[in-house]
Amino acid sequence: MSVAVSGTGEKNGGALVPYSDEAKKPVVYSLGHGVRPPISRLAISWSRGNSLRVSVFREPSPSEDSGDECGGKVLEVRLGNGDGEVSDAQWRRIAYGSVSPFALLQSRRNSVSGLSKMSFNSSPYHVEWWEYVLEYSKDINSLLSNSQPPPPSLIDDPKAVLKKVEEPTCLKAAWELMEVFYADKLSQAWLPERLVDWLSDYDSLLSGTQVTVHSKLVDFQKDLISLQVIEDDPKYWEVMSSALAVGWLEIVVSSFRVLLRCVGFYISVVKLLRLHGSYQLDQLGNRETENGLVEAVAVLISKMPRMRPELETGKLGDCYKAKPDFIKAWEKWRTQITKLECSAFWVQCAHRQTRDGLRNMLQIMLGNTNCLCTATCHWIELYISHFLYIRPFTVGLESMNSLAQKCIQLKPMASSHRLMGLMIGILGENIEVVLAECSKGFGPWMVTHAIELLTAGSDQADILLHEEHHNLGEINMEELHRLVYAQVLSAHALTWQIAPIYLASCMKQGMGLLEILLYKQPVYHKQLLLKNIEICRLYELDSVSSRIMKIAGMYHWKHGRKGSGIFWLQQAQDEVRLNRIAQQMFDSVGKSISDESFRQWEGLIQLLGSESNMVGGLDFLHNAPYRYRDFKKSLMQIHDGKTTDTACQAVESLVSMAMDHAEFANTCVYSQYRRPTL
Amino acid sequence: MAITGIASTTTPSQIHKLPLAAHIDAVKWLPPLSPLSKLFALALFDTDASAPSLQTFSFSDPSSPSSLSPPHSIWTPPSRISSLASFRQSPILAASTLSGSIHMLSAGPAGLELLHAVDDKGFHEGPILGIDVAESAAVVSVGEDGRVNLVNFGGGGGEGFRRVFDGEGLVGFNAVKWASPSEFVTGGYGFGLQWWDLRRPGGPASQFKGNWSQGKSSGLVHSIDVHPSRKHTCLAGGSSGTIFAWDLRWQQQPIVLSGVGTGEAAIPLLSESEVWEVQYDCYAKSSNSSARVLPAMFCSEDGILAMVEQGEEPIELLAEPCAINSFDIDQQNPSDVICSLEWESIAIVIRP
Repeated sequence: MSVAVSGTGEKNGGALVPYSDEAKKPVVYSLGHGVRPPISRLAISWSRGNSLRVSVFREPSPSEDSGDECGGKVLEVRLGNGDGEVSDAQWRRIAYGSVSPFALLQSRRNSVSGLSKMSFNSSPYHVEWWEYVLEYSKDINSLLSNSQPPPPSLIDDPKAVLKKVEEPTCLKAAWELMEVFYADKLSQAWLPERLVDWLSDYDSLLSGTQVTVHSKLVDFQKDLISLQVIEDDPKYWEVMSSALAVGWLEIVVSSFRVLLRCVGFYISVVKLLRLHGSYQLDQLGNRETENGLVEAVAVLISKMPRMRPELETGKLGDCYKAKPDFIKAWEKWRTQITKLECSAFWVQCAHRQTRDGLRNMLQIMLGNTNCLCTATCHWIELYISHFLYIRPFTVGLESMNSLAQKCIQLKPMASSHRLMGLMIGILGENIEVVLAECSKGFGPWMVTHAIELLTAGSDQADILLHEEHHNLGEINMEELHRLVYAQVLSAHALTWQIAPIYLASCMKQGMGLLEILLYKQPVYHKQLLLKNIEICRLYELDSVSSRIMKIAGMYHWKHGRKGSGIFWLQQAQDEVRLNRIAQQMFDSVGKSISDESFRQWEGLIQLLGSESNMVGGLDFLHNAPYRYRDFKKSLMQIHDGKTTDTACQAVESLVSMAMDHAEFANTCVYSQYRRPTL
Repeated sequence: MAITGIASTTTPSQIHKLPLAAHIDAVKWLPPLSPLSKLFALALFDTDASAPSLQTFSFSDPSSPSSLSPPHSIWTPPSRISSLASFRQSPILAASTLSGSIHMLSAGPAGLELLHAVDDKGFHEGPILGIDVAESAAVVSVGEDGRVNLVNFGGGGGEGFRRVFDGEGLVGFNAVKWASPSEFVTGGYGFGLQWWDLRRPGGPASQFKGNWSQGKSSGLVHSIDVHPSRKHTCLAGGSSGTIFAWDLRWQQQPIVLSGVGTGEAAIPLLSESEVWEVQYDCYAKSSNSSARVLPAMFCSEDGILAMVEQGEEPIELLAEPCAINSFDIDQQNPSDVICSLEWESIAIVIRP
């Protein structure tokens, strides 16, 4: 039998975030339920988290003796979250890890807003708020890297170290993009170069849906081994121009780098150039001019001025921190390129491919738009090449955005990628779009945590996210997203206990939902119950705590664990129920004196009575024997056939003892074996 | 996360945190399979698949690992494991489950092998919460149902069990610990401890009432330890950060090491919530020769792993943002401690 589960939702009408058309196609999955036909009923309901509960019922057949035939089955069907990039366990690890940075930032916010703004700013040791946010961002970012669980393998592979290389994820790429634009104020001056770095780390992620410079390089790497005369291959020149256009002067791409690191070498444009046949000793003599030209281009590339404070070791280029210095160097560098461009040596260069290839590279360095456009594969790459070779001084989101729009026009997107969507939203300074892209592409965890970056980085976002909305029940967007995330956390047995941290940060509705969450937790597992009570203690929810204890008390009582039941009811100071319990026990005693229940019951009190010399000088215990005596007297009267009035007195005596005695149930029982006869 | 409280003269402990993709219910060191590696057992529960498992892992390279190597062996219990016990350095592991069964496994080089199991009807009603195994391979088990059962796996057959006591639900136990081949201690509700002697059947030979801590602050005992050389003193840990010792020779008054009962004594309280486990810490040198209780280690719901000593400031080994649910001190190398963290990971602390 198969059940059709419409993958991502059929109620587009009321959806907050509209689903794209491609998600509308129904997907058919088969469920192996093992129930023999005929099936009479099928019930489907939501279970915990992202699971569906499918109940399959069989037609009851009175004719055949179905002794071992089951009458139905309940199956849990887990619906995938559609994001294969981050596994469930990894998501949970990210959720756990982000608790501390989030809580730290919230408490800093509270202490900062507690101080008056004046004194905060005038303090000589003051830290700007964005520095806290940047620290938070870095903490979160570190969670997103390499936390892949080890692959399940039974053999301890000594070469496993090589495989444990960080795979870039879209989640991390998106977080870094947000960090660059909103949190890191220091990098604002060299934003274009930050984007160059960003693309070199994450271009491979875009390869999934389209051709990228990265994917071209990966393909070429495969051919490289078999190529004899490398400079005759037009692909060699094409790949080099592409890598040059996106500024990977030295190291090519992160995962490509990984691929190559394993075999012990890496590729750079300069290195690629030096693979040129003219470097071979036997050819050096007759290809001198050619070699000179290749070398000249290689030197020019490695001397490229970069507007950034520093470069990682091994990367090429000359760094300039101050703009005037950079401009000077930039002009000089371009003059050198132009000079080489016009050199007479080109005529002497006999190898056509080399001549054309090198001149094309010079055109790229001179910022020839057509060459850049040909060399790059998608608009972000083109955008980056513009920063590198045409407009290195671009500052301000407005001009960055207009440049981006121009690049999108030149290289229209064949298919949209969630990272591209996010980037367009950021550049367009459209907070709603950024939020929607975060939510659609990366889920509630991303939105909740990225809001901290957004509000720190933009006043507009701060206002928008903290504005209370009527239609949201007077809460603001920030709270809404935290509540949504808390719901997601609450839906899993292992993450529900971190939901309170997010709920507690929600001013309006957080505590109400927290109470509901705590009530919903099962009480039968001791550790869970105590965890629940501990959370109540942390958030000073005494009434909730005592209600949970009452629930636990009743649960244990009903399941025959009278001791545990009474313990929890006493912890909850539930006089009413303890009275009822006493009454119940009393009734059962009244029914038959020789009953088993009486034996236990009598044992209960015997112990209380026999301890007249109790420890600790606790006052109430002095009363206990007397109360016990009263009770016993009443009991005796009942046996003699007296009225129920005395019965009530007996109950009262019992209850006062029970209430006083801290561990009424626990200790009482042992004495039953050493009980003196009545 | 933070290492604090380490005396300035010593080098800090090495802490390795290793993530797992499942909840860890119990953790226990095992005798190593090779001289340079260490072996430990984890009782895991995969909540998504509702799948419990018992796995052993070897840990050989203390310098770098950011994740665990694959398990050395895996055994699937019938239901979630509630407690693990082993006797010092013997490669025998006893596991109790929430469905009320006990399993005896050998944890030798061949991996985990089931030797015996007891899951008879009427053995326990509901979960077994505490077990302990003696040298003779006799396992004592307690549960919320108030039953105290004894299974002698040492006798070869391992068939059947002996009911030492049946509280018939009027009482429940959380923890049990052997003191001698014929004596053990149990603990449960109301901070009470019971001393049992198999030679004196019928009920506990002696019991300690928990009402020294007054009124509402009553709580549960979660863990008990008895030192092999000082069997007259039992150490117990439970609710509200309470750690106390009960000396059989001075029965009426507990020695409070930490917790609400401390009263005027100004011992700083490290933890205010559940103390999940206590063990005597033979690695810590007692600085106080007159102390009646040997130094001990505990872990708590509020994420503390620390050493406590009578009349001394506690020393914190770990302070985590999540609960530390259990720990074990390696009997062979007492400097090494393994603990399970609530957030699906373990931490191995190697003290200098």
